[in-house]
Amino acid sequence: MIQIQQVLFELETDYQGHPYHVTGNALYNALARRVDARTRKQLHVSHGVFVPGEHGEYPSAHSDVGYGGVLGKSLPEVENYADLFLFRDAARRWLLDSRPRDAHNTHDVTRHGDRLSFAPRCWFGRPPEVRNSRRSVQWFVQCYLHCGRDDAVLPLDEEVLDGLRVGAARNYGLGELSLKDTQLVELDELDYSGIKDTALQLELVSPFVLSSEYPSADDQNVPWWWDADGELRRRETRLVNGDEVHTLATVDHGQVVAFTGEDAAVRTAKNGVLRVGTHSRFGFGEFRLRPTGSDRVPERAVGVGGEA
Amino acid sequence: MTSGAPFESPRDAPELDVDPLVAVFRHDVHKLRGRSHDAAQEVFRGARVNEAVPLGADGDAARLSRPKGAPDETVANHRSPRRLSLVTGTTAVASDRIPASDDAPLDWLVLSTDPDVLHSRWLTSEAAATFNESVYYPYTSLRFHTLLVAALLDNYRAGHDFADLHLVATPSGPMPNEGWTAAAARESEVVETFRTVLWSPVCALHVTGDPGDRASAPLGSCPARSFADVWSRLSAHPFDAGDRRWRRLDAQLRRVRSWSTALAYIEDYVAVYGDGGAR
Repeated sequence: MIQIQQVLFELETDYQGHPYHVTGNALYNALARRVDARTRKQLHVSHGVFVPGEHGEYPSAHSDVGYGGVLGKSLPEVENYADLFLFRDAARRWLLDSRPRDAHNTHDVTRHGDRLSFAPRCWFGRPPEVRNSRRSVQWFVQCYLHCGRDDAVLPLDEEVLDGLRVGAARNYGLGELSLKDTQLVELDELDYSGIKDTALQLELVSPFVLSSEYPSADDQNVPWWWDADGELRRRETRLVNGDEVHTLATVDHGQVVAFTGEDAAVRTAKNGVLRVGTHSRFGFGEFRLRPTGSDRVPERAVGVGGEA
Repeated sequence: MTSGAPFESPRDAPELDVDPLVAVFRHDVHKLRGRSHDAAQEVFRGARVNEAVPLGADGDAARLSRPKGAPDETVANHRSPRRLSLVTGTTAVASDRIPASDDAPLDWLVLSTDPDVLHSRWLTSEAAATFNESVYYPYTSLRFHTLLVAALLDNYRAGHDFADLHLVATPSGPMPNEGWTAAAARESEVVETFRTVLWSPVCALHVTGDPGDRASAPLGSCPARSFADVWSRLSAHPFDAGDRRWRRLDAQLRRVRSWSTALAYIEDYVAVYGDGGAR
């Protein structure tokens, strides 16, 4: 049995770290000092994805349907494979069209001297006749943990998860994460019928490492079961361990390729959650499989309100 | 199909025949004048305005930036044609900078009969940037909607279907001596007439059926609010993702679905943070 522990944090203060994600490495280092040596050795941490706490509607592949109330503030139950990714895509296509969705999904930028940060909440004015003149949308961060071999390490206690600090200036109070919700998910018990017996695409949820300056890290090729139509975008990023900074060459996240390993779709899907390649322990190499017809842009999905 | 008359029409006699690409830049004049579609006039200072754009380009461009169907009022305390900026949270330019009674920016944006000139003016106009596409969706931009309509129509007239189109990103070239002006846009080797939808110090973006070997990503099978999807599939980074400022902009653009909102975000962000004063 493979277990993952999903964790949802509330962002309490301004955040000055990586803008795409709170990296798995940052979360791992914040956790590592709070756990015993055995856990430290076993723990794998995904990237943390920013989620606004806002009204939403479940996407069509989700096991729940229709209006979901305020999503982002708690972890919905996970029954099928697609449910795992509800909060993993920055475009947040579940936000309601009847509200200013793009305003809810972009971070407010604040300035501290010459450094810019993301604010933990965004304020919106309201019409004068409404009792409260302002409302706010709060930001949350979702990540998940799993272990190499020793499952007894999970779940981590709530006291261990609460009050982490990540990003730059974390010793000065920035980047504080309080625990909002956590749950265990058994990967083997999920429903994978959505990705069986169909042509599939692979969406890269976090960067895939091609080469790393980290000592003894292997270079990787783009896997043969990714069929990219043209060039895959690269991005250089860094892995920071204390004073050491290691440059990484990656395939950038957010890209979509055709998947040519259909025979092993379910096994590959689970590997995508547990991540592949160099530094997968720290969040790199996460991917999602999706039927080719079910475009991640809902209006373009075949047969689901799409029009030619 | 009609061709544009290469002269400025006299102000007292309405034009008879207008190039469809000229019509593009005039099709939403009623919005610039704060009027509803139903109250729109057909003639403004002798120029035919508010005409329908052929080949469905207007509807397709609307679909790139707004939900389809009956609109919902998304920002209840802002029932105004003034655009709201996602970067500052307030109206794009203080509203007294362009008095509604002052037609000078309007003249500049609609009266020419040369579609190339109109494209270069819309591409660089601050005045057009202060209006939204719809009062129901105040973060959208009338200016980028209009530029998207022009790009779609030009591609459709060249025989491309929507599904053939790509977003292409290129460097914007060095800053012109006279600044990012309409005249400089017409001289620029970067700007493709009608197909360039953003010409900003940080990058230029084009919608075209001829991507060549430039950094590009397909727009997909049909018009949809797909900016985040297309942007994150570009085959190369449009700007230096090693610089913290631009990485932050890149991260935000992966969150925005509406095309005209996203293009306005790039421009507003560059205006506020592009000077390098803060990282």
